[in-house]
Amino acid sequence: MVNDERKACLDNRFTSTSHRHASSRIVLFFLAVLLLLTLSMLLGPSGIGIPDMQSNAGSAIISLRVNRLLMGMMTGAALSASGVVFQALLRNPLAEPYVLGVSGGAGLGATISILAGSGLFVTLGLPVVAFISAVLTLMVVYGIASQGSSGQPSVYSLILSGVIVSSICSSVIMFLVSTASVEGMHNVIWWMLGSLQPVSSGQQLLSAALIVGGLGGIWLLSPHLNALALGREMAHYQGLRADLVLVTGLLFATLLAATAVSLSGMIGFVGLIVPHVMRAVFGPDNRKLVPLAALGGGTFLVVCDALARTILAPIEIPVGVVTALAGGPFFLIILQRRMKQAWIA
Amino acid sequence: MDIMEHYALVFRDVSAGYKHRKVLDHVSFNIREGEFVSLIGPNGCGKSTLLKTAAALLTPLSGKVELFGQDVHRIKPAVRASLLGVVPQKIESSMAFTVSQIVMNGRISSMGRWGTMSPGDHDLVERSMIYTDVLELRDRYFTELSGGEQQRVALAMVLAQDPKIIMLDESISHLDINHRQEVLQILMNLNREKRMTILLVSHDLTLSASISDRFLLMDAGSMIKVGTPTEVLEPEVLSRVYNCDLRVQQDPYTGYLQVLGSIDSLNRRKSLNRSVHVIAGGGSGIELYRRLIIEGYEVTTGVLNRLDSDAEAARALNLQVALEQPFSPLGSDAIQEALKMIDAADAVILSQVPFGSGNLVNLELAAAALKKGKTVLLAAGIADRDYTQGKAALQFMSRLTNDGALIWHSIPELMLQLQKHSRHRSS
Repeated sequence: MVNDERKACLDNRFTSTSHRHASSRIVLFFLAVLLLLTLSMLLGPSGIGIPDMQSNAGSAIISLRVNRLLMGMMTGAALSASGVVFQALLRNPLAEPYVLGVSGGAGLGATISILAGSGLFVTLGLPVVAFISAVLTLMVVYGIASQGSSGQPSVYSLILSGVIVSSICSSVIMFLVSTASVEGMHNVIWWMLGSLQPVSSGQQLLSAALIVGGLGGIWLLSPHLNALALGREMAHYQGLRADLVLVTGLLFATLLAATAVSLSGMIGFVGLIVPHVMRAVFGPDNRKLVPLAALGGGTFLVVCDALARTILAPIEIPVGVVTALAGGPFFLIILQRRMKQAWIA
Repeated sequence: MDIMEHYALVFRDVSAGYKHRKVLDHVSFNIREGEFVSLIGPNGCGKSTLLKTAAALLTPLSGKVELFGQDVHRIKPAVRASLLGVVPQKIESSMAFTVSQIVMNGRISSMGRWGTMSPGDHDLVERSMIYTDVLELRDRYFTELSGGEQQRVALAMVLAQDPKIIMLDESISHLDINHRQEVLQILMNLNREKRMTILLVSHDLTLSASISDRFLLMDAGSMIKVGTPTEVLEPEVLSRVYNCDLRVQQDPYTGYLQVLGSIDSLNRRKSLNRSVHVIAGGGSGIELYRRLIIEGYEVTTGVLNRLDSDAEAARALNLQVALEQPFSPLGSDAIQEALKMIDAADAVILSQVPFGSGNLVNLELAAAALKKGKTVLLAAGIADRDYTQGKAALQFMSRLTNDGALIWHSIPELMLQLQKHSRHRSS
């Protein structure tokens, strides 16, 4: 009886307040997303505000801005969600596509296909080649990390070999670029700097399909990601096919990261900052975290892009520079204030 | 097939291990449904590997593991989780999950696609948290809890699985005494009321002896012995397996076995090379034995009746004892034996033993020792412990003191007297 009362009392005290807090936070977050997306629609090198829709130039500007917004949403969502998954699966706050060499591998694949291919092959084949080479890279990283340990690689050896393989990939990219023709070099470097310049509609549709599929897959996996927070062994004891969840999760996360890289080049920091900020605000429950981080990552990148093309207009700064410059300090503030509650490493 | 179903866990000639290292070497045993079994053995003998193999985390290199009659590797993971729960040595979460979120993980295999829980699931989670006394911690971050609190949360999570057998890998060694008793009580209740089978990896042999139906003793990857506490807790076997001097005795109050380690006493006793004979009985000798052994004396004792608690203690401490049949007057054979011991001893100590007609003979021993020129130390206050007719013991004692026997009042004082005496002798 006493226990029941105590339980009821505790239920009341905790669930009601924390629920109210959580839902009001989510409402605020959605409002902020809407506001920021609207604001970034108003920004551009051609001036602030809505251009004249009647003129050809005005409607072109609007469609360009809508296009970049979609590009930003897709890329940001993919990078951020893949960061969430890598961090959850490898149980490490530093895990993200770049650290694990996934982005480097995707970049290498993309570089090769940009330099070697032409026409339709480049536009449609780019995400596929990037994905394949990212998966191959991940397998190499995983294989190296597994050596010496008893079957399962430790997180530290994974990250160590990821960093090394990643730097090998960038060296190969540098080598390829330095030996490429002027036109090829221009294409690769422009792509590599990271920008949300519109790509062909074919590649955009294919990328959209891959990203939506990847996000859906990850969301389905998200309850299981929670169980993996206590480690592979514990997840196994609780009746999960832990290794299957791990491999599926890594594949989906790699698919997202590779598609983002093939779409917009090397944009760093999104997969690291956004998941951490979202976790600090909404808690580590991956069921909520995956969709919220996807939305947050997309919005973050769109805002960064709006700034990138406005601040020094008509010069456009690579958006990767803005993500790092804007995200870094913000990340440090969050780290200081909320990290203790969100991630105790 | 019928018999099979009564077993919760069966190992049939299982060898298992890791890539380059075989840990389990042809291990066979079985655990019946509803049993409380302790798995013991020195560090690194393969206990954790055995649990991992039982939970299908490791695939055996050869042999077969059966869980409730089925090959554990053929059971679907979700079904396996409803049969078997494992509380590991330590669980770590790198993310700030709350306690209730952690406990809900126990229901993960029965959750809906989006991680939704049925009211039944919720009840199980709540009940497990109440059981393990972690309800107040429910909104705290798991990572912020103390080791003992984390262990109770882990147990709550495993209880939420509602398994039929629970395996605990040294999980209770981190708990303070209050919560250790509590967790053991929980396990015993589950064992008795719900017939839950328990396999507890433990280093506390005495504690395990009081709660276990059976013991599994492992050493170097092999199963050394399987049986009841009395069958497995044998000083010779334990001392060999644990590679140190261990003694087993029966708690006079509860009747449970106690395993005691006294690593240092042997060496020190040998180095001092002085021997003392103790005349005791009725439990008056236990503390004397203990202190004398710690101080490094070679101790003999007797005559004692075979069921006397001093006799039990002396046997557990590996002392030389002159024994007589229970409840009979002390006979001449035993007395002869005791006299031989007195011959070899440097001093004879008489404990605060009460005297009746049955053991008055022991005073004769003291008198004989005095005649042989031994130092004799008598406990003070005999008048209160003399139940003989006509105060025979009291009179006997005063004769002894007249003949040169010394009186001791407390054990520390006795130890000083012995030391003084031995210095005096050696000089």
